[in-house]
Amino acid sequence: MKALWENLFTHWYKQESPTKTVIKQIPVFHKLTNKQIREIENLVHKRRYKSGETIFKQHAPGEGMFIILSGKIEIFTEDKKGNKKTLVLLGSGEFFGELSLLDSDTRSATAIAHEDCLLLAFLRPDLQSLSKRSPETGNKILFNLAKIMSARLRKTSEEVTEANSESV
Amino acid sequence: MTSRLKTVENFYTLTIFILGIGVVYFIWPFISKMVMILVFSFLITTVLLPAVDTLERKINSRLFSTFFVMGGVLLLVFGFLFGFASGMFQQSSEFYFRLTEENYVNDLNSMYESALSSLPGVSSMGDGETPQLAERIQSFISGFIQQILTIAKSGVNFIFLTAIILVFTFILLVEYHHFRRTLVALVPNKYFELGVRIIHNIEMQMSRYLTGQFLAASSVAILSFMGLCILNLYGANLTMIVFISIIAGLSNLIPMVGPFVGMVPAVLIAIMNNLGNESALSHLIFNLVPSPFFIFDIILMFIIVQQIDNNFITPILVGESVGLHPMLVMISLFVGGTVVGPLGMLFAVPIAGVIKVISQEVVFLVRYAHLL
Repeated sequence: MKALWENLFTHWYKQESPTKTVIKQIPVFHKLTNKQIREIENLVHKRRYKSGETIFKQHAPGEGMFIILSGKIEIFTEDKKGNKKTLVLLGSGEFFGELSLLDSDTRSATAIAHEDCLLLAFLRPDLQSLSKRSPETGNKILFNLAKIMSARLRKTSEEVTEANSESV
Repeated sequence: MTSRLKTVENFYTLTIFILGIGVVYFIWPFISKMVMILVFSFLITTVLLPAVDTLERKINSRLFSTFFVMGGVLLLVFGFLFGFASGMFQQSSEFYFRLTEENYVNDLNSMYESALSSLPGVSSMGDGETPQLAERIQSFISGFIQQILTIAKSGVNFIFLTAIILVFTFILLVEYHHFRRTLVALVPNKYFELGVRIIHNIEMQMSRYLTGQFLAASSVAILSFMGLCILNLYGANLTMIVFISIIAGLSNLIPMVGPFVGMVPAVLIAIMNNLGNESALSHLIFNLVPSPFFIFDIILMFIIVQQIDNNFITPILVGESVGLHPMLVMISLFVGGTVVGPLGMLFAVPIAGVIKVISQEVVFLVRYAHLL
């Protein structure tokens, strides 16, 4: 009887998937309901990258953001002479490339897998179709993106003000 | 060394490409039917997908939402077909009854006899010709049976194909997002973002085209309905005008040929309803041109509807949905019609649209190839 019960209602006993746990932590998906998170979970693409493999290159047109499920990603820029400057090393639970969700501008840096990685990709076409199918979810994501952008803008303004005051 | 390697690589790519085309050419006769089934299923899926997605969010079950949407559509289609078939059957029965009751057969017979007598050589046909006539009748009957068997075979084939298309559509609708993700998963990491972009653009292109076509078909159906109602006010005595309008709207989906197909049931019903009506027989269009049984009125009405659709409605509703030059649309229709037939004409424009999307992405790929 117990076995039958557990078989019929397995989903009641199912633990939350690691993908869902990671998605919930990403600021872009804050304040989404469980149902909306499930929608995102069904939409994102799981990609495996080997160590040294390029995720995207600087100046290439961007299509969306990546969330790191496991592994490490190196973000760096290269000048015209080919001098490399590492910006950041990102780890599990972190994300990058979110600006491309809003515009189709080119990437400002290169991202390569520092070690074997498992990434979740959430691309602009996915966001567009989600906004069409479920405008409420789409709006929440866009609002979260706007909040991230405004926080960055504020930080940049403060840094510029500080730099100006120091130079004076 | 690098340039030699590049040449070898180009030669290798070209060989693979030519071999690929050769393989497709040879296996096409075996897979063409399956490809058509998949294309049909995909098109129906594209039309029904938004409804299934919306319902899924409400009832939380993909399977049931697909079941309800497809069930609803099938009910509507069967309701339409049943209504149309029963209406046509009733119409034909009445027509047959009037033919026998009101001595139209005698009229037709006397018309036939007078035609025979006026044809040189036919009236001189003596009794000796009878056996030949019997042979002819026999061959006619065997030919007729043959035709009925062919039609029955085609009917069974059609039902079988429809059933397969419905099953495929059901599966595609239930698993659409899963299939899409599986397809994306097959794209190599290097082309991942580009792959998603192409798939999304093709989906958008198809969706815009189908929505535009659906709206254009609806407007043609509404305009035809209004036109037929106006003709009825002038005594055209047309029945089943809702069905005729829907057929006119649906046949409008096939460019160029469709509009003429839409006229046929209207003209047939006008003849059936007005046969024996002296005033309908001697009807003049604009009190000038003879238009027996309102036939030319109906044709003119459909031409006007067509012109309104082509010049006002389609450019606004369908407009840039596919974004193809009219010349390219005509060429694709011609190629589709020549290679596949009427079905080819139905799919020519959306397929040309898909080719356009892929070409645009290839140009994009070439431009950014060094960054992939």
